[in-house]
Amino acid sequence: MKTSVKTAASVLPYLWAAIFIVFVWQMVVVFTQAHVALLPPPLLAAKTFAELVVNGQLFVHAGASLGRVVSAWLLSAAIAIPLGLAMGRWRRFEHLVDPVIELFRPISPLAWIPLAILWFGIGETGKIFIIFIATFFPILLNTVSGVKGVDPVLIRAGQVLGCDNDRALFRKVILPAAMPTIVVGLRISFGTGWAAIIAAELVAAQVGLGYLIADGMEVLRSDLVLVGMVAIGILGVLIDAVFRTVNDRFSWGT
Amino acid sequence: MPDNTTQNRGTKGISISELAVTFQSEDSEPVEALRPTSLEFEAGEFIALVGPSGCGKSTLLNVLAGFIKPSAGQALVGGETITKPDIDHGMVFQDYALFPWLNVIDNVAFGLERQGMGLAERHAKARDYLDMVGLKDFADKRVTELSGGMKQRVAIARVFATDPSIILMDEPFGALDALTRRFLQHQLLEIWQRNRKTVVFVTHSVQEAVYLASRVIVMTARPGRVKLDQKIDLPHPRDFSGEEFRRLEKLIYDQLDEELAKSFKLEGGGGTFHD
Repeated sequence: MKTSVKTAASVLPYLWAAIFIVFVWQMVVVFTQAHVALLPPPLLAAKTFAELVVNGQLFVHAGASLGRVVSAWLLSAAIAIPLGLAMGRWRRFEHLVDPVIELFRPISPLAWIPLAILWFGIGETGKIFIIFIATFFPILLNTVSGVKGVDPVLIRAGQVLGCDNDRALFRKVILPAAMPTIVVGLRISFGTGWAAIIAAELVAAQVGLGYLIADGMEVLRSDLVLVGMVAIGILGVLIDAVFRTVNDRFSWGT
Repeated sequence: MPDNTTQNRGTKGISISELAVTFQSEDSEPVEALRPTSLEFEAGEFIALVGPSGCGKSTLLNVLAGFIKPSAGQALVGGETITKPDIDHGMVFQDYALFPWLNVIDNVAFGLERQGMGLAERHAKARDYLDMVGLKDFADKRVTELSGGMKQRVAIARVFATDPSIILMDEPFGALDALTRRFLQHQLLEIWQRNRKTVVFVTHSVQEAVYLASRVIVMTARPGRVKLDQKIDLPHPRDFSGEEFRRLEKLIYDQLDEELAKSFKLEGGGGTFHD
């Protein structure tokens, strides 16, 4: 009961936002008399949305995009977290690796798209590669700062309470202490990955929400484009909500 | 009182001989934190270390904990040289150092787990020690829900639960308000009387030192060395306003004032201490 009230309260602002957006959209259509191929009215877009839901196409596209992001994101986490732990713990190692990271970091994942296509073609590998780059740095940097931010007194407490080797100290103190920051990195990186997958699919894909948008443009079906965009927005918000729940679990109320 | 809290492995003496610590930093001159110091603490003694800020009392404690390596001399616990932190040398920190991702009981059970105790057994033992500090009903709370005084009681339960040979306390009540502080001093004494561990207790408060300790050591201003080594034979519970209590307090204050005056002069402050 209490939780359902709470959920309703947190959904309400989004509902208002949606109503506002639809209203503005409708006004633009009414006042500019836009051609239906350029800007369809909300009702038409809603119809197309419903069609794609009924025939299952929307789920196929969304599923393909999500699948790519999740697998690349997991791959990123599997590499970035251990690397970040090591960088955060050993200064010398950090000094060695950090310049490399700093040189790569400013390069947008989108700048890698041409190379990804040249190297991997337009198959799955190329897209996973792009998302890997997009998700890697937020996880890495948060893990490093999480480990560095561990209160030294907690490490000392761990040592006098029987963590007499580096491994035990890592497992029992450093990792749990750094966890909230790492989870934040995972959340941010999923967002950057989700933004990048659309771009990767715009260029080269046969399926996915980005493809839906690109294809809609080519056949002059802006309702398809808008449906793709709406789906991206809704899924983005939902995924972030899931992460926020996970976040709360890991942030011991401090 | 459950008997889990009373069966213990006993305690050990501490032997400090010609122990000195000099901090060497890359870009400045070496800082002599502790002059060669020799001290013998008998098993079961309650030692209070007092002195001006930066007098090396915390440095000495950190050597005993194994966090800092001495530049010269050595410190022995029960005849063995201290080389690294050890669960047998327990420590209570000023800012509690509880693990916020664990609830109260798992904080107390942390060391027991490291000692290889199974879940049921260590929770039972942790519960006994929480009972000892009067926090049995808080076992399943998050540590972030506790007040400062409660946190320090959890930390005290945590250190006694692992049954160490010596217990080091670094200004454990320094961050607490006066009333909480009094209550915890009293509770600590009760626990210490039941488990006679060697306790080395660093404090800024002379009153606290005389109230708790069986021996008070006054350190000089930096670089630190022993200025006064005073036995306190008063029976517990001690009366703050008793004649002998106040005489000892004054004796220690007089020694400290000399050192404080010196350390203010060292800092280049104008004027004299008694102004």
